[in-house]
Amino acid sequence: MHEMSIALEVGRMAERQLGRAQIPLVVAVGLDVGDDAGVEFAALEFCMEAVLTTPPFTGARPVITRCTGDTLRLTYLEVDDGRPID
Amino acid sequence: MAVRSIEVRERIMATYDALAANVRSRLGDHGVPAFNLVSSPGSGKTSLLERTLERLGPELRVAIITGDVRTQNDADRLARVTDDLVQAVVTGGACHLDARQVLTALDAIDLPRTDLVFIENVGNLVCPASWDLGETAKVVIFSVTEGEDKPLKYPKMFRVAKYAVLNKIDLLPHVPFDLELAVRYACQTNPELRFFRTSALTGAGVDEWCTFLRHQVYTPVVQ
Repeated sequence: MHEMSIALEVGRMAERQLGRAQIPLVVAVGLDVGDDAGVEFAALEFCMEAVLTTPPFTGARPVITRCTGDTLRLTYLEVDDGRPID
Repeated sequence: MAVRSIEVRERIMATYDALAANVRSRLGDHGVPAFNLVSSPGSGKTSLLERTLERLGPELRVAIITGDVRTQNDADRLARVTDDLVQAVVTGGACHLDARQVLTALDAIDLPRTDLVFIENVGNLVCPASWDLGETAKVVIFSVTEGEDKPLKYPKMFRVAKYAVLNKIDLLPHVPFDLELAVRYACQTNPELRFFRTSALTGAGVDEWCTFLRHQVYTPVVQ
């Protein structure tokens, strides 16, 4: 089940992004996953939920968008940066 | 609180691709071809390697990296037919090898004194297709006991492979397997596939396979 390897790598990539931006809370993690990426969608969602359990990811939801080809991409992080709404 | 979106758009496999590029570079520096053998469990990867080592062992220095979920059985078997290094990677549950494991295994291999590397991947026709190990080429092995439609069921593996070995051909008289249909299905998936037909049990076709490997060692493909 290499979905866990992928989920862990997503976690590392997200941490690198957040390290630059000093974000306290992640709300959602967006992924594009191709039909031909060799990934089982439900398994990846399960593994992502297991990875997103520690701060700043606690409670973050994985949002997996199905696409064509072998795309496997971290597309966006939805974050709450603690600032009040403008 | 304000929720905002940070656009990332990074390939998840980028880290592993970089590791695979490192493997490829190290092999390329020493002109060592490396073949990643991929198949379902029980297709005869280890048996084919045993026959290959018996033939090529006296003339080439062949290093082998084996991957299994548990046990070092395959590595132990191969170590009996070669004096060269057999590196066992026990994945502990993972369904494929990755480039990081291969890179670590290469640390123990004396590449300047190696002519050829085999990577015997974990038996699995799905996951290893998605992982570049830095190999020269993937070789998909499927046996005549598995059914002709393997290339249709597992198209990605046959698409990413450059070579296909149809193994256990000694069993053809005993099983309802249409060899030509299997080749046709594989060619539908990947018209560029080059085929070998072997029996690791009787040795049929192994000479042609070994001739191909010798050619790869003496005239390696520029990547």
